[in-house]
Amino acid sequence: MSACFVFTEAVEQGSLLAPPHPATPVTLSSSHSEIIPATREERKKEMSHGVEADLSNRRFRQRELYTIPISSSWFRWDEIHEYERRSLPGFFEGGSYSRSPRVYKEYRDFIINKFREDPSRRLTFTEVRKSLVGDVYTLQKVFVFLEKSGLVNFNLSDRKQQQQHAEDDEPIVMVEDGPAAGVRVVPTRFSSSFAAAGQNGEEAPFKLPPLASYSDSFVELNSSSDLICGLCGVHYHSGLNESSEGNIKMCSKCSSKDTGNEKPELDLAQNKYTDVKDCSSTAWTDAETLLLLEAVLKHGDDWDLIAQHVRTKHKLDCISRLIHLPFGEHILGAIATKSSNINLITLLEEYKSGMQVLNDKPAVLTEIDVDEQVEISKVEEEERGSQEQPSNQKCFPPFVDAIDSFMKQVASLSTLCGQDVASAAVDAAITALCQENPCARLAFETTTTTTTKPLSLHKNEFKSVIKFEDEDAKGNTHADYAPEKSFSAKTFQIRAGIATSLAAAAARAKLIADQEEKEMELLIASIIQAQLKKLQHKMKHLKEAGLILEKELAYLQPLKESMMEDWVSVLQKLFQAGTPRCRDQSFPKTMLHTFPL
Amino acid sequence: MPTAENLIPIRLDIENEGQRFKDSFTWNPADPDFEVISFAKRTVKDLKLHPTFIAQISQSIHSQLAEFRSYEGQEMHLKEKIVPLKLDLRVNNTVIRDQFLWDISNLESDPEEFARTLCKDLDIEDPEVGPHIAVYIREQLFEIAIQGVASARESKAGKKGRRGAENFINSKMSNSSLDLVKLFSSKGSVVRKRKDWYLYEPIVDILSNEEVVALDAREERNARLKKKLDEKEDSFQERI
Repeated sequence: MSACFVFTEAVEQGSLLAPPHPATPVTLSSSHSEIIPATREERKKEMSHGVEADLSNRRFRQRELYTIPISSSWFRWDEIHEYERRSLPGFFEGGSYSRSPRVYKEYRDFIINKFREDPSRRLTFTEVRKSLVGDVYTLQKVFVFLEKSGLVNFNLSDRKQQQQHAEDDEPIVMVEDGPAAGVRVVPTRFSSSFAAAGQNGEEAPFKLPPLASYSDSFVELNSSSDLICGLCGVHYHSGLNESSEGNIKMCSKCSSKDTGNEKPELDLAQNKYTDVKDCSSTAWTDAETLLLLEAVLKHGDDWDLIAQHVRTKHKLDCISRLIHLPFGEHILGAIATKSSNINLITLLEEYKSGMQVLNDKPAVLTEIDVDEQVEISKVEEEERGSQEQPSNQKCFPPFVDAIDSFMKQVASLSTLCGQDVASAAVDAAITALCQENPCARLAFETTTTTTTKPLSLHKNEFKSVIKFEDEDAKGNTHADYAPEKSFSAKTFQIRAGIATSLAAAAARAKLIADQEEKEMELLIASIIQAQLKKLQHKMKHLKEAGLILEKELAYLQPLKESMMEDWVSVLQKLFQAGTPRCRDQSFPKTMLHTFPL
Repeated sequence: MPTAENLIPIRLDIENEGQRFKDSFTWNPADPDFEVISFAKRTVKDLKLHPTFIAQISQSIHSQLAEFRSYEGQEMHLKEKIVPLKLDLRVNNTVIRDQFLWDISNLESDPEEFARTLCKDLDIEDPEVGPHIAVYIREQLFEIAIQGVASARESKAGKKGRRGAENFINSKMSNSSLDLVKLFSSKGSVVRKRKDWYLYEPIVDILSNEEVVALDAREERNARLKKKLDEKEDSFQERI
């Protein structure tokens, strides 16, 4: 017995430590109501067999959840149900050493534990029998019984099919429940919304994951027209019974089925959790996309941080969404250089070189630079120009999806430059385009006449990106104008918009350059001043030094004279005393040497 | 036979005029005996064997059936007994070794079912392996059943005063079977010790064709040597 118990312990711990199967993240539950019966059961086991185990350690451990079919709800770890007695009478007739209820229970518990070590793989009888003592045929009967009742190898064939169905779609989430002790029982359900959707159509055995744009526009439609019960995966149309707990919807059948039991609430919570997760993983709202872009600019390619910033989406979803965006790769490429402001400009230039339609762009750019200076004085036209840019934005609602992010960047750039510069840029761009192609002029004239009227209302809203978006929305309401315009007009408008943006970018760059130049001049001036000051200081010090020297000289001069006088008087005294000449000559000589004058 | 279906394992190994026929299968003793001869004819025709095989095959089957029938209906020692059975056989390119416990008193056991499960679990593709495993198990069960009959006879005889022999046989038998009281008492666990798992685990080898040829040759040589040895012994005994 000790061997048995130690083993199950090892099994369960192992399953906790081991990383869950990549395709099947197991939902964990830390609810007390599940843990306590488990520990009670363990304790019973331990007491009856006298095995010591660390109880306190187990008590607070998280429990894994397993799915078993509702038909096996009789299952309890600590007792043998009547159904088991009826199905396997051999163990309960008595009179046999090798077949007793106790032996049966040990077989059963071991097999189930063994399976739950790794619920994603199919447990085989051959694998089980090597570790159980007993008649193989009897063992096989137990095993087959457990397999039939779904306590072992349940849901595995389903999963294989699902994997074939939804190959590289989002990771399949297995909703598991039925903790090891207080067993929970629910019907099988479709673990991924995609699988459920596939079941709905039933016509296509394999479907590609829906494109982001598709899910953007159609997800709401789908969810409203065809409701899927969160519990049983059955489609239902009306008479739905929305549970108060959140997104999950249940059909009335399921909700009635669950009444009278305590635990379904818990299951429901689990279901809800996973279902919400599943649903959210397909559709991208505009707000989420904005968050994503923001996060990308902020965090670079640190996807964990980005996913945290977006919050409602998984990391992988974020990546795929960004790739689906028209500018995704450019943004990613630009991130490497990391400076966000200049980035946008380089980004635009990259884009420009990518677009073959605009191969005459460099000329336009220089033209703009020149024209900018000239046209800045024309105030009236500026106003018209400022209106014109939003009009460009509005004229192609069908393109908005693709050019959306681009336009937003244009908007932000132009707000940085200021209204006047932006409008001048727009004018320049349009004139350049008109020179290039006479048809363009016609297109612009028609569009401006049709759109200026409603747009004059929004004249002042040009200042921020958010307002710009508002205009977008309004532009969509004005979209009635759009059908009148020919396609060529739209292409010109797009080109005008792009040119405008480029001009705006150039203007912005020029502004920055000017500013920097000024700053540099200022700095140089300050440097020169500092140098001058330094020189002045030095001069001052030199002067002081000269003065000090002069003073010293003046002081030394009388000293020298007095010394000379002393010396002369001493010599005179000497001569007067009349000392012998030969002896005295050496002395004054040395004296003379020491005082050279 | 202590199994659900009363099938007799038949093993044929017949050599004749340069051809060798080896096969094993189960035979239902309830079938009428004239089936044997038609089976032999059909086999020889299908495998394009020499016609002389017909007689030999049917004779071999008949003799094995007769042996089985000699035990049929006799009292067997039907105490609850679990014995370890060992598998060690080669079928075409597949070599399988295994060990497991078998309750010979369980009259519902089904070796064919067991063999099927084993092959399915181990992903053995060769369809011939399963039946061979079942026959192999049945042969062992048959042998054990014969022993059981023998011990039952002995115990009957023992009542007339041959206690020594009975004790001897019982002790011999209990060696091969397991001590159930010890194994299944409330103190023991039916979960095997981890270090013993490998003993009861099936091992499957898939041999390459060259290995198979080499093995075949060796087996044949051994068989011939044995045959010669037997013949020598016979002649030796005859001379005496």
